[in-house]
Amino acid sequence: MAPTAPVEVVDFALATIARYGRPDLEARLWQARVRLTDDSVRVLVVGEFKQGKSMLVNGLVGAPVCPVADDVATAVPTVVRHAETVTVTVVRVLNPEDDLAEQRTERVEVPVEELADHVGEGGNPGNRKGLACVEVGVPRPILAGGLELVDTPGVGGLSSVHGSATMAALPSADAILLVSDASQEYTAPELTFLRQAVAVCPNVACVLTKNDLYPEWRRVAELDEAHLAAAGVGAQLFPVSSTLRWQAVLDNDSALNEESGYPALVRYLRRRVLGQADRLGRRSTAQDVLAVTGQLAEGLRAEQAAQRDPESVQELVTRLTEAQQRATELRERSARWQQTLGDGVADLNADIDHDLRERMREIARVAEDTLSAGGDPTKTWDEFARWVQQEVAAAASANFVWATQRARWLARRVAEHFSEDSDQLVPTLRAETIVPQRSVQPPTMREVEPWGIGQKALTGLKGSYTGMLMFGMLGTLVGLSSIVNPLSIGAGLVLGGRAIGDERKRLVTRRQNEAKTAVRRHVDDVIFQVGKDSRDRLRAVQRELRDHFTEQADQAKRSLQEAVRAAETSVKTSKAEQERRLREIPTELAKLEEVRRAAKALLQQAPAKPASAKPAPAEGAGTAAPERVQAG
Amino acid sequence: MNGHPPARPYAALSDAVRQALRHAMHVYRDRPRTAALLRDQLDRLDEPLRVAIAGKVKAGKSTLLNALVGEPVAPTDAGECTRVVTWYRDGHSPRVVMYPRSGAPVPLPVVRRDGALVIDLKGTPAEELDRLVVDWPSHGLRGTTLIDTPGIASMSTQTARRTLTFIDPEEDDTPTEADAVVYLMRHLHTTDIDLLEAFRDQGVASAGAVNAIAVISRADEIGAGRIDAMVSARSIAQRYRAEPTVRGLCQDVVAVAGLLAETGRTLRHAEFAALARLIRIPRAELEAALLSVDRFRRAEGAVADAVDAGENRDALLRRFGLFGIRLGTTLIRQGTTDSPALAAELVARSGLPDLQRVLHTQFTQRRDLLKARSALLALERVLRADGRTEGPLVREVERILANAHEFTELRLLGALRSGVVRLPREMAGEAERLLGAAGPAPQVRLGLPAGSGEAELRNAALTTLHRWQNHAVNPLFGRTATEACHVVIRTCEGIIAALTPRYP
Repeated sequence: MAPTAPVEVVDFALATIARYGRPDLEARLWQARVRLTDDSVRVLVVGEFKQGKSMLVNGLVGAPVCPVADDVATAVPTVVRHAETVTVTVVRVLNPEDDLAEQRTERVEVPVEELADHVGEGGNPGNRKGLACVEVGVPRPILAGGLELVDTPGVGGLSSVHGSATMAALPSADAILLVSDASQEYTAPELTFLRQAVAVCPNVACVLTKNDLYPEWRRVAELDEAHLAAAGVGAQLFPVSSTLRWQAVLDNDSALNEESGYPALVRYLRRRVLGQADRLGRRSTAQDVLAVTGQLAEGLRAEQAAQRDPESVQELVTRLTEAQQRATELRERSARWQQTLGDGVADLNADIDHDLRERMREIARVAEDTLSAGGDPTKTWDEFARWVQQEVAAAASANFVWATQRARWLARRVAEHFSEDSDQLVPTLRAETIVPQRSVQPPTMREVEPWGIGQKALTGLKGSYTGMLMFGMLGTLVGLSSIVNPLSIGAGLVLGGRAIGDERKRLVTRRQNEAKTAVRRHVDDVIFQVGKDSRDRLRAVQRELRDHFTEQADQAKRSLQEAVRAAETSVKTSKAEQERRLREIPTELAKLEEVRRAAKALLQQAPAKPASAKPAPAEGAGTAAPERVQAG
Repeated sequence: MNGHPPARPYAALSDAVRQALRHAMHVYRDRPRTAALLRDQLDRLDEPLRVAIAGKVKAGKSTLLNALVGEPVAPTDAGECTRVVTWYRDGHSPRVVMYPRSGAPVPLPVVRRDGALVIDLKGTPAEELDRLVVDWPSHGLRGTTLIDTPGIASMSTQTARRTLTFIDPEEDDTPTEADAVVYLMRHLHTTDIDLLEAFRDQGVASAGAVNAIAVISRADEIGAGRIDAMVSARSIAQRYRAEPTVRGLCQDVVAVAGLLAETGRTLRHAEFAALARLIRIPRAELEAALLSVDRFRRAEGAVADAVDAGENRDALLRRFGLFGIRLGTTLIRQGTTDSPALAAELVARSGLPDLQRVLHTQFTQRRDLLKARSALLALERVLRADGRTEGPLVREVERILANAHEFTELRLLGALRSGVVRLPREMAGEAERLLGAAGPAPQVRLGLPAGSGEAELRNAALTTLHRWQNHAVNPLFGRTATEACHVVIRTCEGIIAALTPRYP
């Protein structure tokens, strides 16, 4: 009869504390409730294009949600989540050039039939419509637990633009599924991606698709596992066949379903990913309920003591006031945790900036050496520019991953210092959820643009690291080309034969210098932009942490104030009133104790679905489970 | 001196290049290494065209090579298997020779297993080998030497490096050894574009994309091996062909199901018989067994009886793939009655004929032009490396370049394709054809049916010439467009000149 589900426990607690007139504590519980009901468990589905990512999402959901095509299909990230009826919502960033904090989005619900026009490469080539994402709601039981599947455009692709955008989304994901088909073993880019992914995300799994089509899939699976082991990536590998899954869904054939490999993947998502999120939810809910009821019970006990023994009231009030003083100090700037936070963010800013500059300088150095050694840079400029872009993007990604790890570590330290004597939950760092980067320069295109590749790559670039990386580069590219543009055929021929000797040497040196300047300028742009982005991100983290802990300090302070007030009024009350309170208080305490018991039970309960749950041995050791910081 | 177009359209150019090479050999006679390099170039002019087959790992390079040769010469495997650049040449008798980076060539034993060549390096690490050369008596190799390369973006960067230096030998500054490239890709990736670009722009006689063809290999795997996979693959090829990025980098894009082509060209009767037995099984049962490779391997009853009587199931899967078995059984059910007919049908559906046709028009017909181009590139490099800017030899090379209208055509073709030079759409199409995009024969250039008479040719050429002369004075065109018109005019004049009998 006692409530068991986290939401019920919160409701129970809310009903119990309503009589105390403490809106601040109620607000904390409401927050917990909102987190429980709204917080989704986000699973990113990533991979090179044409590996069957959309098919995988469709297979998991058991409905044709994401458009699938033989040619490149997905142009926009598609978020699939639970809804009562099928809905499709298109999300567009209205002012992508502005700062992250000021970006506004527009959400428009569109008819279901139009989904492919927005998501598909056919209807929306290269995301020309500039959509941030498309959200699809479907009434499917697998999603009911808050699971949210995100189908992303391919990592590599015709323009490897998507790659970095995906990277930026990683830390906000609860799990990442890397999709690769069974036609071949992992390539170097895939392994690099995996290595970075495990650094920022607790659950990374590899899905080997299309194993119905490739006779040698077992060998490929073995090779992949060997690669994973060699790279030190502890990710599980799931071979699946979407074709079989579909057939199984159509025929309602459970044997075929088992054969498709999907059940194992679904179990993984349910137990490991959802289970972990569930444990996290239970733990933080219990924490909030216990903290709130604890503060109230503390007040009641103080009152009880005062009513029983009016002589000691003065001493009690002194003690409480001292505690209150401590609580006030806690929210002051001079508090230790505040200093840890302030210093930590400053250090982190400096370190991250230094790391970024260091990486970029190295790239610039190698680039300049290459240019000096390489003769006329115009001949190889295309490849060279792309190489620089790739290196720079990779360095920015690495820097980003590192920054995320350091920020998490800092959050733990702050929590540690905030609370030396009670368990303290680290707030999950969700501040960095959406990271559409701005571009360095607005995308101004020339009327006659002789660079075919440039045009292709420019489309849909806005809103990603690489986007801005490319713009910087393209600008310089155009500049350089205008000097040596081989527009005139006749002249080109003559030039080809004559431009030899001193004239040529001089020209080459000049071009080399121009190219070097271009690279340096590009790297500077990137440092500026990426640096700004990471500073913004850190500031958001800082703000979130500060607000979170200040709020807690305020709550504690207010509770202590209440207790002092109750103790003081007790002296003035009549005998009859005193006895009434003395009778009432134990009942109230018992009620609070009941809530606390329910909350404690949350911590011990097994995950949501006891029937299917047989927790894997490795579970619970996940790095993302909120660290409980022990005293001292 | 009759009025017919010469049998070898680029003979004059070839001769000029030959002469220049001889001249250079004479100049450098006291420098044995340079002279030997030039000698190689000269010999190369008479050899078959060298076509490299390149692409990412597991793109199906060796499979396609086997399909083109018509015999399983190149070993294929699920893992990464081609680790050394391997040349396949026509020869009197089978022979395999290993060329280490340093030291003398080592002949290897010729071993065949199940008809396929097995190459045993005798423990020599792939890194120490420059190349393998396989001589193989085959009709498929008579006109072209095929070069199999290790995959790019392969896990072992060593292997990939070997391919890059082979195709794009910037590092040691020797000219590329391949005259043309067939680039295989499963779908277009950025690395694919990089590699295609390596082929562009190399010195004076360069022209965008004249010597590369892109192939969407493993086309049968598109759409998870559905029976209409090839239709999809062709439309994807069509899209890439229209894409400016790709147009600027290669001549054409074709979709080929390599495995199907290889199996079709080497189909054995036992395999046909196994497929024929399969169709006697009730359709529903067969379709259920063909749902996945594991199901097919495990299937019992009728399927097992049908398959295991002759061929081994794994072998059948390896040879056909699920798509091949699905297609093969469907074809037999629709009335393909014997093994040769099935083989022909498989080959026809694999897209291999498309590739062969493109190879013929783009490469074989232009053989001498491509060869001359390779040789001039090499010669130019030699001169540049030597720091020579004056003298009769430099003038000779310059003269060939300036006089060889063929190179100008190539260059303009590349410029048109990559969008550096822009003409109105309908004009651009005609210009590309006139410049020889579809083949160098005058009929083809003028868009006339094969076997058109001389009078028709002349009429068409004259009309075209006038039209382009009008274009050339169109004041609305920019300078580059006008210059492009003049190139086309020169081409038309060339056609007419070749037709007109010369009077004493």
